[in-house]
Amino acid sequence: MQNTLSQPKPGESYLLWLIKIVSGVLILAVLIIHFLVNHLFAPNGLLSHAEVVAYYRNYPIVPIMEGFFLVFVVAHSLIGSRSIILDLRPSPAVLKVLDYLFIAVGLFATAYGIWLLFAVINFGV
Amino acid sequence: MDTPKKPNTRGILDWFDPRGRNVGGWGFIINRLSAIGLTVYLYLHLYMLGKLAQGPEAFDAFIETAKQPAIMFGEMLVIIAGLYHGLNGLRIALNSFGIAVPAQRQLLYGVVGITLIGTVVFGVRMLTAH
Amino acid sequence: MTEEKWTVKFVIFRKKGDQPPRYDSYVLEVDPDEYVIDGVERIWAFHDRSLIFAHACHHSTCGACGMRVNDVEKLTCITKIRDVTTNGGSLKIEPLRNFPIIGDLVVDMTRMYAAMDRVHAKAVHPLSAAPLEGEGIRPPKDVPRNNGDEYLRLADCIECGLCISACPVAGTAENYLGPAVLAAAQLQGLKHNPDLLDLVDCADGLWRCHSAYECTAVCPSNVDPGWRIMDLRRQVVGERIKRWFVKA
Repeated sequence: MQNTLSQPKPGESYLLWLIKIVSGVLILAVLIIHFLVNHLFAPNGLLSHAEVVAYYRNYPIVPIMEGFFLVFVVAHSLIGSRSIILDLRPSPAVLKVLDYLFIAVGLFATAYGIWLLFAVINFGV
Repeated sequence: MDTPKKPNTRGILDWFDPRGRNVGGWGFIINRLSAIGLTVYLYLHLYMLGKLAQGPEAFDAFIETAKQPAIMFGEMLVIIAGLYHGLNGLRIALNSFGIAVPAQRQLLYGVVGITLIGTVVFGVRMLTAH
Repeated sequence: MTEEKWTVKFVIFRKKGDQPPRYDSYVLEVDPDEYVIDGVERIWAFHDRSLIFAHACHHSTCGACGMRVNDVEKLTCITKIRDVTTNGGSLKIEPLRNFPIIGDLVVDMTRMYAAMDRVHAKAVHPLSAAPLEGEGIRPPKDVPRNNGDEYLRLADCIECGLCISACPVAGTAENYLGPAVLAAAQLQGLKHNPDLLDLVDCADGLWRCHSAYECTAVCPSNVDPGWRIMDLRRQVVGERIKRWFVKA
């Protein structure tokens, strides 16, 4: 353990990259459905508040799908942002702070999104 | 001993400088620009959707303002960026598993072609819907 | 060669020590079938003996004369003037990017040489690892083939540094191993050199590549670093996933 501690931290690995690729492909799949429903089949291009609520209530699969979509998109955007920042060769200390920031943003965005999904489903109840 | 010298680079400017670069270099530049744009859009989008929780008045008023030409132009940019970034992501993902690397240039032409077709389809749809 | 004569303006990057960089222009009469390095040498011989540039073999073997010619990395000893400008046109000659400048057109490529050592790139490749085509010597199975028939050799890499100069992120990511080095690692193969796994599977390794393929576009020796980096990714991901199930 002492040896690994004295060595510089790798900072990035195949696993983050693999998550980025897999989430990217999943985003593409869900995004096609998201686009078609919200912007192509919706009568006025964008859904009204009442339509969104009815849509979520009538098709429970939709909020579940949107929830997963949110997680994939947030993960992909954060890993991607981190990759761009690594191109700038941050110091280990800065990277550590940024890592905590990324985790905080990810958790907050996910919690906020799930709260929003429930708020829409339960609106006016 | 000499002190370590700085490399000959203009830093971030060199990420985006297309002069002298080849097809793949252009692919990278557009991929990175669209990545940054889409990230900004994503968090803006999440924030704006918060209006759904405030009820019909707030949300429907927001949707009405979103039908301004300037906002619609911005949405078009998001669609172009999304199409390009998604399709180019597939290209790079395939390449990264060792698939079709010699065909990366042709794949990029395909990515750009489909992006253009998609842009026209969405653009027409957007203009006729309003 | 023909008797054709072209008038070409050479615009040369100059920098000595801590001086700010500047560009000096020299108008030369050249044969368009001459090479860019010939023009640079003539400027040094007849116009300015203080011009610093590197060259040795004049036949694309030593890798010393890499420069940026009109914003594109070129091995100037095999780049015909005809192919990069026109009669009456100009040639902007600059040092390679992403390496420290020693003076004028010469850069310090320690970054690449040191990293080459870290991936055990051999100075001389034995025929068993890098066979000459058509000599009937069979290399190990994991030496990559191109379309199934021709063996690829990293022995073709002349360590000219053009790929590191062309890479759009090698400038900001100063510790990035770079295309030539990752290509060398790919040729060594993870199977025979498992210690390379941690070296390339890190922030300064494979994942700094964002698939611009500029390395492959400028490589004067057909090493195809872009393809080799992608192939090494496939090897690394395969090996890592294998280790989920089998202890190394």
